[in-house]
Amino acid sequence: MSELPNISEIEADCLMEIFNIGVGHAAAAMSNIVNEEVRMSVPSLHFTTRSDAADELGADLSLCGISQHYQGAYATEAILMFPETASFEIVRMMVGDMIPAHELGAMEREAMCEIGNIVLNACVGTLANMFEKDLIGSLPVFRVGSSQHILNPADEEDDPILLMLRIDFSLERQQIEGYLAFILDMSALRDLREQIRIYISRLEAGIAPVGLSMP
Amino acid sequence: MSRQILIVDDSRLSRMISRQYVLSLHSDWQIAEAATGEQAIEMAAVNPPYLILLDVNMPGMGGLEAAAVLRKSHPDTHIVLLTANVQNSVQAAAEQLGIGFLSKPIIEAQIHAMLNKLEQTP
Amino acid sequence: MKDNLLLDAFSALSLGVIVVDSHYRVTLWNNWLALHTGIEASEATGEDFFVLFPELRHHRVGVAIHQAIFHNLPALLSQSLHRSPFPLFVEPTQPVERISQAVTIVPLGSEERYCLIQIVDVSTAVHRESLLRDQAHELLAQSLSDGLTGVGNRRYFDLCIEKEWRASKRNKKPLSMLLIDVDFFKRYNDCYGHHQGDECLQTVASEMRNALLRPNDLLFRYGGEEFCALLPETCADEALRIAETLRGRVQSLALPHVNAPAGVVSVSIGVATHCQHAHAAHIELIQAADRALYEAKHAGRNRVNASTGGCSDTTAPQWMPHHALR
Repeated sequence: MSELPNISEIEADCLMEIFNIGVGHAAAAMSNIVNEEVRMSVPSLHFTTRSDAADELGADLSLCGISQHYQGAYATEAILMFPETASFEIVRMMVGDMIPAHELGAMEREAMCEIGNIVLNACVGTLANMFEKDLIGSLPVFRVGSSQHILNPADEEDDPILLMLRIDFSLERQQIEGYLAFILDMSALRDLREQIRIYISRLEAGIAPVGLSMP
Repeated sequence: MSRQILIVDDSRLSRMISRQYVLSLHSDWQIAEAATGEQAIEMAAVNPPYLILLDVNMPGMGGLEAAAVLRKSHPDTHIVLLTANVQNSVQAAAEQLGIGFLSKPIIEAQIHAMLNKLEQTP
Repeated sequence: MKDNLLLDAFSALSLGVIVVDSHYRVTLWNNWLALHTGIEASEATGEDFFVLFPELRHHRVGVAIHQAIFHNLPALLSQSLHRSPFPLFVEPTQPVERISQAVTIVPLGSEERYCLIQIVDVSTAVHRESLLRDQAHELLAQSLSDGLTGVGNRRYFDLCIEKEWRASKRNKKPLSMLLIDVDFFKRYNDCYGHHQGDECLQTVASEMRNALLRPNDLLFRYGGEEFCALLPETCADEALRIAETLRGRVQSLALPHVNAPAGVVSVSIGVATHCQHAHAAHIELIQAADRALYEAKHAGRNRVNASTGGCSDTTAPQWMPHHALR
């Protein structure tokens, strides 16, 4: 029902750069915790609908998702997702335990929550910073299950637009692929695109930008 | 005095930002752009720059690898790494190569301070 | 009247609550916190948070407080990723071990921004989980022990070295490894038969395992007549000392071995230590121990040899475990 935004190359570039900066900061924070090299990057992103995103991820894949809700500008919900098997690896590497777990216990789930919290806050923070918008975020919530369950746990009827990002995560020479989904409402999306347009046109006009900076 | 700068980043937007920041201090400087480490090496070979700004996070040959190559081939060129992921291993690698780095997101004042400092060293 | 009630309720909570303002000054500090830090509310209120907790400025806690105040974003710090960030003790006058903490950091206020830091004591949960984990480790260990000697098998070693490697990096403590090889073992088998060869290995393994007194030091059967010991949080000097003890104990067994030059069963031991950037990956630590073992064999066997490079003794003192400082 909702039209997928037809974003230009430079708009996509802008979003990619914002998120790459965000996950870069998150990786630095995680590296600080484990004293190991951690790298994260966003190789690609695209706009899609929630139902299409669930289909893309597939019904067979079991995922771990960490979700945070936002009020204010832009996204209403942001979800970091990893395949469940990869999540065991991530927790083991970050927490340092060698037990091959079959299930993530309470403490492991909490560790995943914190990882999600670090990544999502870094991304949303960079976004909010660039466009100087205020956001109110929630604490992270852990979910495990199919893509459908992660993206739409309450089985809502509507099909909002999603900004879907691929995330490459590497720790101790293991490469892990994850996803970050931002569920956007229409006014948030319009606002975001407008801000990007203004930012880019100023750049192209030769005005040195003030944004994209952290205090 | 007009100088040659090479800006290397896979993000066009990021290159635009760096370009603006350099030009706002030195409007007469010549700025070339490369989107990959490989391209940067090719371009530097043809036109040795005064300064290379290198993004670390790039597909293919990353910034650190390219920096190591360029440091060898152009010992007199100033090289500065740009990264959002400022962690010990990156800092150590940069130090070992004798290369400075700036943390992303870059702000104008940072680039200006770095440029001014470079002008002071021979 | 209600305000007083609220403040009383706040103070009476059995978890730690700090509220800081947008300049990081402590605005509220409850009783639980006073009890477990030894810092009274009268001292803490009005003080800069990072003056009270200087080590947290560049820690995730400091970053999270900043994000809460400037971006309205809350943060969660799990106890599994952070070793008790705040200096909280059951009894602050006897600061033995920090309380295990689960920390949440939440922005407050609309016009004026404040930040709430909530600290929950999760020691019982952590303790319970660690008991479960120990039980699971034991069960796992049973499937990971060597059939003949009862020490850890190769698979167990592979798991342990990975875990200890990571722990060593995380905690910035040295990790030492001993590679132990029974001297002239083929000759022993040829002379006394394989059955007695097996018994010999059992005796040697048992003696060495008993000689490793610290609970975290583990012995594994690495190969046919090769054993390996992992010594976490152990510097090079201490590792060398332990290796020499093992060598001496095996020699003292005085197991007859007519085809060995000394007439008894002996072992050669290669020692290697990793600290910080000495080796890039654990395979290099193994290789260093292997080279050291080779040198020991080459130099005449029944001896201990430490690998050069890696840690120098000058860096060792800051990591030396307490019991070594006699």
